[in-house]
Amino acid sequence: MSHLSEDQLDQIIATERASQHAPLNDWRTIAARAREEGLIRESQSRSWVTGQPWFQAAAAMLLLVGGIAIGRTTIAIPSSRQAAEKSVEPTSSGAPVASTAPATSTTGASFASVDDASATLERALGDYQRASAFLAANSSGPTTVDSSGIYRTRLAALDKVNNAMESALRTAPHDPVINQYYLATMGARVATQQMAARPVGLALRGF
Amino acid sequence: MTKKVSEMPFDQLDLKRAIAGDERAMQRLWSQHAPHIDAVVRRLCGDPELSADVSQEVWMQIFRALPSYRGDSQFGTWAHRIAVNRTLNALRKIRRLAKLETDIEDDSALTEQDTDRTFLAESIEQAMARLSPGARAVFVLHDIEGYTHGEIGEELGITPGGSKSQLFKARAKLKKLLAHLVDESIPVGKGKAHVAPV
Repeated sequence: MSHLSEDQLDQIIATERASQHAPLNDWRTIAARAREEGLIRESQSRSWVTGQPWFQAAAAMLLLVGGIAIGRTTIAIPSSRQAAEKSVEPTSSGAPVASTAPATSTTGASFASVDDASATLERALGDYQRASAFLAANSSGPTTVDSSGIYRTRLAALDKVNNAMESALRTAPHDPVINQYYLATMGARVATQQMAARPVGLALRGF
Repeated sequence: MTKKVSEMPFDQLDLKRAIAGDERAMQRLWSQHAPHIDAVVRRLCGDPELSADVSQEVWMQIFRALPSYRGDSQFGTWAHRIAVNRTLNALRKIRRLAKLETDIEDDSALTEQDTDRTFLAESIEQAMARLSPGARAVFVLHDIEGYTHGEIGEELGITPGGSKSQLFKARAKLKKLLAHLVDESIPVGKGKAHVAPV
C-alpha cells in the first residue's frame, strides 16, 4: 500500500487547520445549561440594550412606523376606518386617540439637539402605544377565524424575521441599522399580538 | 490577509456584561469563538456525540471562569487553553472508565491494525478518529494547534520525547490511512517546510 509523503500530509493538515466547522451545539442548548447553573440572569438579558438612549429613540421611531404599517395591513381594521376613528375623540374609554403631532414632526420639523429629537421620539412612542391600545379596545371590525389565521401566519413570519435579525446582530451587534430593523420587527410583533388578542377568546397561544 | 474574528480584541463591555449574566453578551462571545473552540474539541475527541457533550462542558467552564479572565492574553487564547484542558480531562475520565469496564485493550489494538489495512479514510478528521487517544491528542495539539512538544508534555503528563514519538506514530498512520487521497487534486509542494513548531 502506498503512503503519503510528508509534504502531502502537511498540505492536508494545513487545509484542516484552516477549515471552519459549524458549532457542535446550538446556542439554545448552551443557554439552557447556563441558565440552569445561574450563569444567565434574566434581569440582565436585555437591560443594557434598553438602557442606551439612542436605542430608546430608535425603538420609539420604529414602533411608530411598525404600528402604522400594522394598522394599514390589519384586515379587521382597514385604513379608512383608522382615519375615521382618528377624527373622533374618545369619550369614555380613557385612551386618547393618537395625536397628529408625530406626523407633523416627521414632515419638516428640524431638531435643535439630540435631546429635542429624543423627546419627540419619546412622545411618538407614547402616542403609538396609546393609539394601539385604543384601536385594540374600540375597533368594532369583525374578527373572524380567518383573520386569526392571518395573525398567526404573520406572527410566525415575524418570528422568522426576528431570528434572522438576531443572527445579524450576533455578527454586527452594534450596527444601528440592524438594531433598528430588529426593534421594528419586535414592535410589529407586539402590535400583531395586541391585534390578535383583541377579542376575548381568540388570544393566540404558542407564539 | 484579513484578521480572523477570533483574533480581534474582545469587547471589554461585552465581557463585563457576560460576567453579569447578560445572555446576549454571552451569545456573542460564543458565536465569535465557538467555531475554533469546538474544532479543537471535535479533533481531540474524534467522536461527534462525545464532542458535543464535551463542548457543552467546555463552554460552561469558560462562562464560569469568565470573572478570572484578566486580559493578559487574547480571549481566544485563554478560552482555547480551557477547551484543551477540559477536553483532555474528559478523555482521561472516559479512558479510566473504559479500563474499568473492559480489559481487552491489547486485543482491540490487534483488531485495529488489521482493519487499518482495509480502511480508507475519506477525510483527515475520519483518519484522526482512528488514532489512539494519546496519539490523536499529540497530533492535534502539535500539528494543528501549534503546541510545542514541551507544552504538550505538560498538558498530557508525558516527556517531550514521548510526545515526539507519539507524533511520529500518528503521522505514519495518517499517511497510510490517507494514501488513497493522493491524486492530481493534491499537488505536492516543492521544498515546503514543516509548518508546525518543534
